[in-house]
Amino acid sequence: MGSELNLSATRSSWTGGWFSWTRQSDEMLRNIEKKILSCVKTVYKRFYVDIGSVVGQSDKIWTICLNEDAPRAPLVLLHGMGAGLALWCTNLDALAAHRPVYAIDLLGFGRSSRPKFSSDASKVEAQWVESVEEWRREVNLDQIILLGHSLGGYIATAYALKYPERVRHLILADPWGFPEKPSNVYEKYQMPLWVRAVATAVQPFNPLWAVRAAGPAGRWLVGKTRPDIPRKFAAFLPDADQLIPDYIYQCNSQTPSGESAFHTLMTGFGWAKNPMVHRVGSLSPRLPVTVLYGSRSWVDNSTSQLLTEHRPNSATYVQVINGAGHHVYVDKPELFNKYVLEACARADAYDPRETEAGPETSQGLDQTIGDQPPDHNVKS
Amino acid sequence: MNLSFAGCGFLGIYHVGVAVCFKKYAPHLLLGKISGASFGAISACALLCDIPIGEITSDVLRIVGEARAGSLGPFSPSFNIQNVLLASMQRHLPPDVHKLVSGRLHISLTRVYDGKNVIVSEFPTREDLLQALLASCFVPVFSGMLPPRFHGVRYMDGGFSDNLPVLDENTVTVSPFCGESDICPRDLSSQLFHVNLANTSIELSKQNINRFARILFPPKPEVLSNMCKQGFDDALRFLHRNNLISCTRCLAVQTTFQLQDVLDDSHEYDPECEECKTHRQDALVDDLPDTVMTIFQNAIESANSGLASWLLRRRGMRCISLITLPYRVPVDILYATFTNYIGDKVETHALQYAVMGNVRVRRRRCLRHNNVMTRFVTSTPKMSKSLWRLSWSLLRQLHAFVYSAHDRSDAAARIYYKLALEAKKDTEDYRLDRRRASEVRVTYGDVVSDSDTFEHILNVTAHNDALLAYYYLDSDNKMKMTEIYDVTDADTEAVQSPTERDLNKQLEFDNDWSSDLIANDDELDLDNLDDDLLDRNIFSDPESEWTGQRSYSSSDGDQPESDRRIENFTAFEDN
Repeated sequence: MGSELNLSATRSSWTGGWFSWTRQSDEMLRNIEKKILSCVKTVYKRFYVDIGSVVGQSDKIWTICLNEDAPRAPLVLLHGMGAGLALWCTNLDALAAHRPVYAIDLLGFGRSSRPKFSSDASKVEAQWVESVEEWRREVNLDQIILLGHSLGGYIATAYALKYPERVRHLILADPWGFPEKPSNVYEKYQMPLWVRAVATAVQPFNPLWAVRAAGPAGRWLVGKTRPDIPRKFAAFLPDADQLIPDYIYQCNSQTPSGESAFHTLMTGFGWAKNPMVHRVGSLSPRLPVTVLYGSRSWVDNSTSQLLTEHRPNSATYVQVINGAGHHVYVDKPELFNKYVLEACARADAYDPRETEAGPETSQGLDQTIGDQPPDHNVKS
Repeated sequence: MNLSFAGCGFLGIYHVGVAVCFKKYAPHLLLGKISGASFGAISACALLCDIPIGEITSDVLRIVGEARAGSLGPFSPSFNIQNVLLASMQRHLPPDVHKLVSGRLHISLTRVYDGKNVIVSEFPTREDLLQALLASCFVPVFSGMLPPRFHGVRYMDGGFSDNLPVLDENTVTVSPFCGESDICPRDLSSQLFHVNLANTSIELSKQNINRFARILFPPKPEVLSNMCKQGFDDALRFLHRNNLISCTRCLAVQTTFQLQDVLDDSHEYDPECEECKTHRQDALVDDLPDTVMTIFQNAIESANSGLASWLLRRRGMRCISLITLPYRVPVDILYATFTNYIGDKVETHALQYAVMGNVRVRRRRCLRHNNVMTRFVTSTPKMSKSLWRLSWSLLRQLHAFVYSAHDRSDAAARIYYKLALEAKKDTEDYRLDRRRASEVRVTYGDVVSDSDTFEHILNVTAHNDALLAYYYLDSDNKMKMTEIYDVTDADTEAVQSPTERDLNKQLEFDNDWSSDLIANDDELDLDNLDDDLLDRNIFSDPESEWTGQRSYSSSDGDQPESDRRIENFTAFEDN
């Protein structure tokens, strides 16, 4: 568990000295991350967890850990596509008040190793799930509350499908990859040819290819196209408008390993190849799920609806956070923290492993809520 | 609560739909400040000073028509958007407009010399307001070379710095691009990749790419009509989702439902209140008001049904017009320079715009000749103008004669189309996909239509104007697809209206769904059901209807996957 990744592993060899701005990026990334995390008041530890050869030769997962010794079930945070653990900085303090909190850079993102993933969607998914499981074993956690945002939500769900006994509560914040790609037969006639041509031409590229293709201008590009993200952090972080774009740029200017893996999972314009909708039915019926999403971000509550429809006898809690978009954890951090803490409290009160008798007898409160039609949202 | 309209060039028609909806169903929300950039600012201004929406729409469509007429589209040298805008604002805005909007209208501008955003809200004189609006719409190169001045400083389009000015936490954002705004189209897409340009969140989807291209290159009137309707729908959905559609009596009396966050300054809503309920149902049934729809119809008609445009739509003609483009552009430029020269030379500064208007009108007609007929007679360019005009009017006469069948009274046309629709229902099943996010798939089962449909139709036409406007749109068979979507739309949204039963056999069906599925809404829906049954017995024709309904629900039991979605959605809002 060192704090340095072997730098030569991340250096792109064939580019030589020309693309030198990426050479120091792991160091820079570490420093920027440290600066961002300076807004976290709680004492924290950062370290690499060596998970052995899950995808590459020896994979390491960059981890931050707060309030390690608290007795309750630990909360594990999985970030979304193209992000890193530092973006949880507005949430860490509140969440770690009474329980251990771990946030990791997913394999292939942030400061974690960037191995080459498989080119098959289901294998990629399994690889990510394995990496999380290995990490859990390495850190020696028995049972976790798993919170995933966006792509992290997808991985968290896949993890809960494979290792249901390890998950005490599943929290999905605006998860990606649930609905199936709709087939629209009229699209051909609705879209002009050039639009379809552009869309087709862009599809083989990794989602954030432009950031790397822009070379030295990549940092500027990030700042220009997503000025909203630093703005969201501005209230918590003094120089967010510098640090956050830097951080996002450094996270994504290296070898795009996680990004290509995500690209493998994806079909069309950001739809999941193996959408969760077909599989949520086989989630353990005793596993309670909380779905949080921003009112501006989603078409309607389709994900929560899918969940409740496919798990009629299980507890699914849905919270809409008004005025929040896709980055729900930083748009309305207070509300988000509050809801996550509520979910954690529910997780403390109810352990799916202890109730072997089956769902009918097991869940007092949960059962009554789970039985209702999918519309029991608590509006904020 | 404040409103904010995104700048979006010709897509501003979307704001018109939103404005119609707010004016009709939530006028109490318009008491706050309204901000906007570019065309959004104009919409905001129009909304604040209560100009009849129909006029705005017709104006926008006129501008679009002019923009499309030039040889290079809106980039033609003879199309001067600033002049067109100024002329129409002069015409429509009331004389004391600056007093009406000062302090409430916030216009986002970009200062040219440092690129910083400036928001202005105080307008001492009418001229100031017009200048600010013009400056907010100024796109360099597209609108002209030199940005206009406002209070001595040069400004350009607010869209370059802050396209969606947000005044405070309680700002409802309206944007025609699918993204993270309160009121925006919801495309069917994964909502994953966003960019944020000048404060406007734009999702990277095919639809948005297409819309983006439409900012400066206006689409056909049909497309605009759909955009306007979509704006209306989206605004309605927003109001509905936040329980903002309610009646005044409710506001005063009940205190059960508390809205928070974005909407804290709003009032209570009581799901039990009968008036609220009907109001909301009306709202859901309703579509754009008739006046707006009529204008759209006219625009579509004139664009589609002309002999000339029929010619133009032939592929050969298109090729010719493309090939002759290099020849037409210099002529156009010459012409524009000439008229501008005349305009500058002859008129004094004060009269300039009025006279320009005259010149423009004549020129437009002339341009039209260019577009339509020049290809035939490029060899005789010296033919005099009056001869052209004569032949043109002759052509028009001929055309009017040929198409006189279309010029019947509205009602007759509606009924005519209505019959056609009924007949179609007999013969075949429609299975349609609407492409937008509030996706509804509707199947018309084999509905047994009774012999005295005509009476029914008359009855229904008397009750329901807005819905039928869409049928009329469909009556020229050219754009069947789009129009049937609209019909579908109307149908499914009309599910709860008692007067619409003649068309919607799925009415009871849907209510069944809701009362079965949604436990906490039991009472409400049962009430509805009773009402419907009652109405049915009173108004409608007995047997045939019942059989029709029955056959519908039995034959299409598998269908309303998406209908159910809608129902759930509604119920979710009722909570």
